Amino acid sequence: MTKILCVKDLSYTNSRKTGLFSAPRTFVLGPISFDMVKGETIAIIGNNGAGKSLTAKVLAGAIRPSSGSITFITDETSQQSSHSHPIRMILQHSSSAMNPALSLGSVLHNTLKLNTRLDEAQRQEKIKETLKLVGLLRDHYYYYSHMMSDGQQQRAALARALILDPKIIVADEPFAALDPSVRSQTVNLILKLQHELGLGFVFISHNIGIVRHISDRVLVMDKGQIIEAGRTEEVLADPKEVLTQKLVQSHFSLVERHASLV
Amino acid sequence: MALLDIKNLTLYLDGPGETIKALEKVTFTLQEGEIKALVGESGSGKTLVVKAIIGALPEHWRVKADRLTYKGQDLLKMNYEQRRQIMRREIAVVFQEPTSSLDPSVKLGEQIQESIPDEFVTKKWFWERNKQRKEIATGLLHKVGIREHDRWMNSYPYQLPADVSQKIMIAMALASEPRILIADDSTRGMESTTKTQVLKLLLKLNKTKNLSILFVSHDLLAITTIADTITVLYCGQTVESGKVKSLLKRPLHPYTKALLDSVPSFQSALKTKSPLTALSGTIPSLQHLPAGCRLGPRCPNARKKCVQVPIMRSIQGHNYSCHYPLHLPKAGKKDPTDDKFGEQDPIKFNLINPALEEDSADD
Ligand code: SF4
Repeated sequence: MTKILCVKDLSYTNSRKTGLFSAPRTFVLGPISFDMVKGETIAIIGNNGAGKSLTAKVLAGAIRPSSGSITFITDETSQQSSHSHPIRMILQHSSSAMNPALSLGSVLHNTLKLNTRLDEAQRQEKIKETLKLVGLLRDHYYYYSHMMSDGQQQRAALARALILDPKIIVADEPFAALDPSVRSQTVNLILKLQHELGLGFVFISHNIGIVRHISDRVLVMDKGQIIEAGRTEEVLADPKEVLTQKLVQSHFSLVERHASLV
Repeated sequence: MALLDIKNLTLYLDGPGETIKALEKVTFTLQEGEIKALVGESGSGKTLVVKAIIGALPEHWRVKADRLTYKGQDLLKMNYEQRRQIMRREIAVVFQEPTSSLDPSVKLGEQIQESIPDEFVTKKWFWERNKQRKEIATGLLHKVGIREHDRWMNSYPYQLPADVSQKIMIAMALASEPRILIADDSTRGMESTTKTQVLKLLLKLNKTKNLSILFVSHDLLAITTIADTITVLYCGQTVESGKVKSLLKRPLHPYTKALLDSVPSFQSALKTKSPLTALSGTIPSLQHLPAGCRLGPRCPNARKKCVQVPIMRSIQGHNYSCHYPLHLPKAGKKDPTDDKFGEQDPIKFNLINPALEEDSADD
């Protein structure tokens, strides 16, 4: 297994002054360390306010960490263009993440224009490829965000992320806002992309069922720290920390009720 | 007698040139003390059903129903004032996204007190009355399992964590001691610990107060945990309904099956990372409703007959509307045209065709 990402002692401190005389409220994230191998899926679970989204943003480069390092290990032989971005992020509400005044084509086009040195023809070719990859049609090039269904928006969001040939995709609750059938389609699409492109996938979710189904490893976060980490089936079968036990038990209590009925 | 009885509820929208049936013959009942799940994805019309019950649909939308009654009283024939009385005391709704139905600029204590009907405040003098209101409000919060009542009553809506705001919304809905609680997507986006807490609360209210609950959701884990019966909606049509147990065991409608398949936790035999079974495509929008069974274009079993709306059939309290139900190959009359249309034959589904619609509308 080739290692593609090495996160070491990543931390971020956010302090906000709430009043003139009150002490500032501080949230400390990390230090967080973990590695990732090619094609791996890592799930981050934990309660609200545990710092999961913040972790995702720091990983994707949207927020500069206070200390620590994120290292990508690229193999020399790969033919990836050097200017491609190794980590791309998908936001939770893909519907509101796209500029409503631009068509999907121009959004993708701009992304390429700003981030790569491809010429016009190459850009068009790349867009065509990417649309096909995520299961959209050539015509969706001309679609604005309001013209697309939930499922298509999700695919468009994936297209935006994938067009720069990332090695890793980070997603914040990618399934939470989706209806069951669109959710299954998205899960399948991600599995397929991982299989085809060897993508690493880091996602935050509170849906333990999906975490169990698609992730290889799980990180449990609480108060800005990773409190438990390990192979998904091991952590879910034998959670060590109280918080993990709670999360897992409450999920399985729901599943058990189903099992008792059928 | 059913507390809430809905039969063939149809909602017409007059568009340019054509009339769309946003809901078509939705049928279900809610019995005293029952927890019924109304299941459907966005676009299934579940929120429209809720709005039809509470009378919140825009006036120019035409609602037709064979029955839409609360305790035998016809809701559609009531005047505004009568209907308002029922909504004020008998039926309470907890809407999606609790924080958007609260006033962001008013402290929660005040908002909760406001939801208490005047007749519950029996004291005479205003200082006594204020005190009594506060006590009732505190009691309500205790009832939903919130112990730090002072802290939350002095907060503004934006300061609430998701579980607390959901509980407060339920507390406010309970203020009028309703007979029916309609919970519209109450567990959406919650993580499992919070979800179990809210579900436990609803179950407790159901058991101790004999509160009937209409649980509107597509969260199948939550539904199987609390509901007694399920009604599944797809695209404005009732596709299947019955006891939770029998639907889980033996879904008869392909859509119900697809919904159940979408929950990986329900399939213990499922290999991790294997693709989930999912219907292709998405739920059509109101402008592009297919004729007949609206699942048609996405249904793996669709055949020629499906361009007619299937009528609702029933076996042992399990209702379904599908021409070719799963698990029941022999049921229904054999249609000679069936054999000519094997599954390999792709059937073209035309957009809504008024002529066909009328033909199939008799039952
Ligand atoms: S009536 Fe036909 S299209 Fe509709 S669910 Fe049944 S088999 Fe599928």
